[in-house]
Amino acid sequence: MTVTDERATMAAENEQPVEPSRFSLRHPQSRVAWIRPSVWAPLLVMTVFLAVLWQWAARELPYLLPPLPKIGSSLTSQFGYYVDNALVTVGEAAGGLAIGFVAAFVLAVLTSELPFLRRAVMPIAVVLNVTPLVAIAPALVVAFGFGPLPKLVIAGLICFFPILINTAAGLGSVPREVLQVYRTMDAGRFELLWHVRIPNALPFLFAALRIVFPLSIVGAVVAEMSASGSTHGLGTAISTASSMNQLPIVYASILVLAVMGVLLLLAVTLVERRVLHWHDSAHN
Amino acid sequence: MDGSVKVTGTPALELRSVHRVYGFGPSATNALDDVDLTVPSGRFVSLIGPSGCGKSTLLRLVAGLERPDRGEVRVHGVPPAQACAAKMIGLVPQSPALLPWLSVLRNVTLPQKINKGSGKRRERITGFAEHESAQSAPAAPSAPTAPDMRELLVKAGLGEAMHKLPAQISGGMRQRAAIVRAFGLRPDVLVMDEPFSALDEFTRESLQDQLLDLWDELKTTVLFVTHSVSEAVRLSDTVVVMAPHPGRIVDVIDVDLPRPRGDRLFGERRFHEYEDLIRDRLRRAWHGEAA
Ligand SMILES: Nc1ncnc2c1ncn2[C@@H]1O[C@H](COP(=O)(O)OP(=O)(O)O)[C@@H](O)[C@H]1O
Ligand SMILES: [Mg+2]
Repeated sequence: MTVTDERATMAAENEQPVEPSRFSLRHPQSRVAWIRPSVWAPLLVMTVFLAVLWQWAARELPYLLPPLPKIGSSLTSQFGYYVDNALVTVGEAAGGLAIGFVAAFVLAVLTSELPFLRRAVMPIAVVLNVTPLVAIAPALVVAFGFGPLPKLVIAGLICFFPILINTAAGLGSVPREVLQVYRTMDAGRFELLWHVRIPNALPFLFAALRIVFPLSIVGAVVAEMSASGSTHGLGTAISTASSMNQLPIVYASILVLAVMGVLLLLAVTLVERRVLHWHDSAHN
Repeated sequence: MDGSVKVTGTPALELRSVHRVYGFGPSATNALDDVDLTVPSGRFVSLIGPSGCGKSTLLRLVAGLERPDRGEVRVHGVPPAQACAAKMIGLVPQSPALLPWLSVLRNVTLPQKINKGSGKRRERITGFAEHESAQSAPAAPSAPTAPDMRELLVKAGLGEAMHKLPAQISGGMRQRAAIVRAFGLRPDVLVMDEPFSALDEFTRESLQDQLLDLWDELKTTVLFVTHSVSEAVRLSDTVVVMAPHPGRIVDVIDVDLPRPRGDRLFGERRFHEYEDLIRDRLRRAWHGEAA
């Protein structure tokens, strides 16, 4: 069997390669389209409708939802509190993400170069990728205490498998004829990796990052909630406020988390647009 | 120049009793069965035959992508792996195989950044070959520079497209870029696997002309797979006719037509006679197999 054949079958063994997803923010024409009322009006109407519904529910079921103005006043009067806690949570999420990213990327490169390692690792990675890893947060708190460590570990773990699987798929999906061209030049492993495989994996990597950026926050928040002795972070703020029935603080924290999620996604999108400009043009 | 290139010194390509079998047991495919072929330096040789007769397999063996199960392949006297290590072989696959994230220019200059140690190895091999043949082997000028590549691109009609991405240019232009990339290596042997088969007829004919221009200038040995008889006659010094089951060479026909070959020639009788001859050999190979 030739090396080419082997690559092809190995790529086939490789679990479902996740197709890099499209996202409306990346298409310039969709930004221009926002000027037209027919585009933004439905969203505005829907938002107003939801707000009215919320207010009605808050009046009828005061233990379910706090009134919107109370959330607003909590946010403005305790702005510093939310910012501090948000920074703690973002720090944990970003730290975990960074660790998970580096570890997953390195392992992906290793598995793409070492077939035996790929056969050992990838099936397990696929299983763990669909396992709800946040569920081990309480156990990690027992193991690592109330400091930042369990939060980093959870956030890192959550990010690890999607990045590993997608990057490995991207590294392994270089078209056979491209490999043949560079093999006839006797390109070295490192040259092939640097000039061909890694760029080829970038769209896959970014698809993973879109999933993983928001997930890292989920991981940090869940870890905070699982550690009853934690003193900082939005997850802690939410669980403390809930136990004291302070619904405005709970929902204000959730709102801050949502904003953070959107900002992170925006950040990935902006970076992606720069790095993958060729990928967009390849699809339009 | 006529087709009678002197066979002196080391041939550019030499296949001796080459066998290649895929799979084993009753389902094994004899992709190449006892193939012998010698190609002198600087020739344009086409392989033609029905699909499954082992044309691509033969190319992969020459390009060092696979090894024969039996027999020997030599490129300028050395095994293909060594020739690859010296960057003596340029490959143009059926699809352009450009990197979608690099501009056309960067696609064709990337090979210069790869395997930089090849220069010395190549001097050793081709220097040796040249010394042996003692005359005018046109091989191995020094490594091409970036301006050279710009010039080549302009010559291939890609001057405007140089800074575009592959996705922004037409299929014909992409294939031209792939050819320029291969020529940019100043390869001693250029192997091309049906490079024009996905193109429309007009594009194909203009690319054939450009290919001949480049070849004329850089004088490399070309091994060109096609399934078009007229393409084979237009381009080649030698047409190698192959047949399947098992994959083998049934005929080697020298095309004794003057170069440069223009439209006038393609209307002439002697051109069509070559076409008819090759069609006849192909048919015979086909029926011989059926019998
Ligand atoms: N990697 C492979 N594995 C198994 N069989 C193959 C492989 N490559 C080629 N073959 C078989 O070898 C024969 C010759 O194939 P190929 O060289 O591709 O023919 P051509 O290029 O002339 O159409 C065919 O019967 C094909 O099915
Ligand atoms: Mg073929």
